[in-house]
Amino acid sequence: MTAAAPEPKANMGQPVPRYDAAAKVTGRATYASDMPLDNPAYAFLVTSAIAKGRIDGFDLDDARGVRGVIDIVTHENAPKLKESKLFSNGGYAGTTIQPLKSADIAHDGEIIAVVIAESYEAAREAANRVKVSYTAVAPSASFDSPGTTTAAAKGQNSQFKEDPEVGDFAKAFDQAEVKLTASYDTPTQHHNPMELFTTSCAWMGDNLVIYEGSQYVYGLKNGVAEQLGIDADKVRVVNPYVGGGFGSRGSMTPRTAIIAGIAKRLNRPIKLVPTRDQGFTIATYRAETRHEIRLGAGRDGKLAALRHEGSEVSSRPDAYCVGGTKTTTRLYACPNVSSLVSIVRADRNTPGFMRSPPEVPYLFALESAMDELAVKLNMDPVELRRINDTTVEPIGGKPYTSRSLMACFDEAAKAFGWSQRSPQPKSMSDGDWLVGYGCAATCYPTQMAPSAARVRLQRDGRTRVEIAGHEIGTGAYTVIAQTASERLGVPLEKVAVFVGDSDLPPAPVAGGSNSTASTCSAVMMVCDQIRQRLFKAVMPGDSLADKAKETVGISQTPSTQAAKSDRPLDLDKAFDALGVGVVEEYGEWKPEGAPLDSFAAMHSGHARLVGGHSMKYKIAYAFGAEFVEVRVDRFTHEIRAPRLVGAFAAGRIMNPRTARSQLMGGLIWGMSSALLEATEIDERNARYVNDNLADYLVPVNADVPGVEVILLSEQDDHINPAGVKGLGELANVGTNAAICNAIYHATGQRIRKLPVRLENIEV
Amino acid sequence: MSEKPGSGRSGFDRRAFIAGAAGSALVPMTARAATQDASVSAAQDPALPVDVTLRVNGKDKRLHIDARTTVLDALREHLKLTGSKKGCDHGQCGACTVLIDDRRVVSCLTLALAAEGQEITTIEGLATDDHLHPMQQAFVDNDAFQCGYCTPGQIMSAVACVKEGHAGSEADIREYMSGNICRCAAYPNIVAAVKQAAPEIMKG
Repeated sequence: MTAAAPEPKANMGQPVPRYDAAAKVTGRATYASDMPLDNPAYAFLVTSAIAKGRIDGFDLDDARGVRGVIDIVTHENAPKLKESKLFSNGGYAGTTIQPLKSADIAHDGEIIAVVIAESYEAAREAANRVKVSYTAVAPSASFDSPGTTTAAAKGQNSQFKEDPEVGDFAKAFDQAEVKLTASYDTPTQHHNPMELFTTSCAWMGDNLVIYEGSQYVYGLKNGVAEQLGIDADKVRVVNPYVGGGFGSRGSMTPRTAIIAGIAKRLNRPIKLVPTRDQGFTIATYRAETRHEIRLGAGRDGKLAALRHEGSEVSSRPDAYCVGGTKTTTRLYACPNVSSLVSIVRADRNTPGFMRSPPEVPYLFALESAMDELAVKLNMDPVELRRINDTTVEPIGGKPYTSRSLMACFDEAAKAFGWSQRSPQPKSMSDGDWLVGYGCAATCYPTQMAPSAARVRLQRDGRTRVEIAGHEIGTGAYTVIAQTASERLGVPLEKVAVFVGDSDLPPAPVAGGSNSTASTCSAVMMVCDQIRQRLFKAVMPGDSLADKAKETVGISQTPSTQAAKSDRPLDLDKAFDALGVGVVEEYGEWKPEGAPLDSFAAMHSGHARLVGGHSMKYKIAYAFGAEFVEVRVDRFTHEIRAPRLVGAFAAGRIMNPRTARSQLMGGLIWGMSSALLEATEIDERNARYVNDNLADYLVPVNADVPGVEVILLSEQDDHINPAGVKGLGELANVGTNAAICNAIYHATGQRIRKLPVRLENIEV
Repeated sequence: MSEKPGSGRSGFDRRAFIAGAAGSALVPMTARAATQDASVSAAQDPALPVDVTLRVNGKDKRLHIDARTTVLDALREHLKLTGSKKGCDHGQCGACTVLIDDRRVVSCLTLALAAEGQEITTIEGLATDDHLHPMQQAFVDNDAFQCGYCTPGQIMSAVACVKEGHAGSEADIREYMSGNICRCAAYPNIVAAVKQAAPEIMKG
């Protein structure tokens, strides 16, 4: 076993290499903009240079004069599109700002024209020659700008139903022996997946094919159909590989229906490859947030009072918020809790999900505050978490289905060498480096959504699994193939998996870390339907059939317990008895507690996620603990994070290889959110300044010397049939707090605003 | 930036040099374009397509393309070699990395015209028959990717990194692989892959 393929522990699958590995290392994996098109025309976007106001007019003569230009589409001649509601209000869209609809401008970088030409080069040149005259109005950029409006999230965002509270916070805080009040800020961030926000649209008569990287092909298919006013069955979204999502491709952006409409009008396939900087404004992002935390505790460290106020920026028309208080008010035992989330509206594009949307900013606040409280108590921060650990969440009194938080702390602390830490700030150094150790908890809700699947088994054991899931780098192909292989008892190399196509049976959005739990539970169920059919064929009327299907293998593969049973099923005999060449089954699975309309919603592109804190009698989360070593140069103030160690427990680990890789990437994301990433905003113009990969800092290889991921065994029979807790968004939570806690330990300076740059250090 | 006449510097005239260089570069383009469209010369309309022959993965490919076409767009849009990826089009991310005469180059910042007569190797040209190149195999073994979009560029860069002699230590590999961004952050696995493949590449 290599580091990349850890030895499986109890309740873990095999660390088999990725199903799509060969395709990805040879360049054969085809992403959306790699799809061949028949004589495409090329689109290039023109985006607004003002954030608020009106377009007075275009001068297009120069642009039209460019050789090869076919058409220039503005609000004056754009295809008429129907509105789509925000995804959280029953629609599909990530924004209700619809470009090219009128002369009004709602945010900087809004699409204001689309140039179509015979070549990419001509489209780009003509786009640069489009002249626009505006009447600009001073925009509101962010929290401190004049002209914003602020209101409580509750009541305006249908997915934010309550500000969690319990007991009497005010009284308990007032009486607490030890008190902490502190404010924390997190910055604007952009996902910047490596694949650009490309869209290709091709019509065949009335049927539309869309090649676009999407985390929800059913949502996009139905959303575009709604905007075009056509039957959703006539729209197909195809993306067998997606070049990174991180939330940016979870909801529909306006570009897709615009390109589809233009392709229809020109009767020609259109290929759009937006630029990297356009990606900052034509899709979503993580909005900046502000927090105030109040903690009251006894001298023994027991929390008596907790209040978390969060404030988030959104666009003028859309009340998007992440509302992470649903998690931070339930993480620790505390009898008196209150909270409030507010939304501040500014002249910005609408924000959206970005990897662990609520937990990254909200746990930064809470886990920083816990460290500050530990300092006030003169207590080890790990012990403070242990004292306040709980198996029951305090708001509704519901039990956690499983919770390995302290086991994670203990494993990670051991691997990290936490016992070597001298608790006093500025007490550890190495030459010019001030050395600090810090830690934080992480958690992420376990979520599931209805999913369908189709599985076909041939008599030679070859198996085909079809499900409109999404391969965004998570290992979807691999874990689905492993699930079918194990459940049917056929060799892994005989399983073919098809995802990323809205003509396949519906799967939910690849968001909220629900994919593995949902798709694998559906595939397991459908494989069981196949087993049942085969057994009924050879044991007609036999009441033993039901029992047998659970205990009897159906092939000679020795890899599963079922196959090793003393009553292997003779596949040939079963197929002869059925009188067929293939057995194919389709099935629809839904999680316990899913609403009644779940399956209908699933087919129309609405994923009804259940889980986390929203279940009736229980609460389900995955947990982890992260330890970091930070080094701050006492003269230059250069900050480095040479060691990141995380231990995680997330129910059944389908594949320790793909799980470790996701958690490793998550830890690096967490480091990045503390030390590197921020979209800088020009306050005067409400404009993103560093909208490229040289100035928007993401980690490169040299930033990441040491990362260690520890997978803990955990079994949870109360979540879903696969026993899986999603972990794709677990590891990048809390890391930002752990790093600031380590910086405090290294330097004695508490930093409450991210990202931390060397100019923020005042040693 | 212009030099002052008689400023005491050498007689080298920068403006004249640039004009001369551009002029000489335009000569073959003019000649080619003239055969396509006799009525307009390329000097008058630089947007006219030109003929370019690129040598890609050991084969000559004749193209009739816009003179501004980059190697990346020539590969992707005209030769259907879509393994090389566009991640920024600004030379900032490395997803488009190919080898030109064995040097790693960001193909988005290289004009196809400028690569004429040179040997271009892309991710599609790395494997032989059914055998993965040792670097490709090392990427599989070490799970050195997730979404896979940056992977062709990482692998091309990694092959060059080894041949440049920059794979002697993990610190070296990290430094010399830092021109290729992996947003999934598979970096530790990429370092492990380069370490694994380096001896085999240097041997063979």
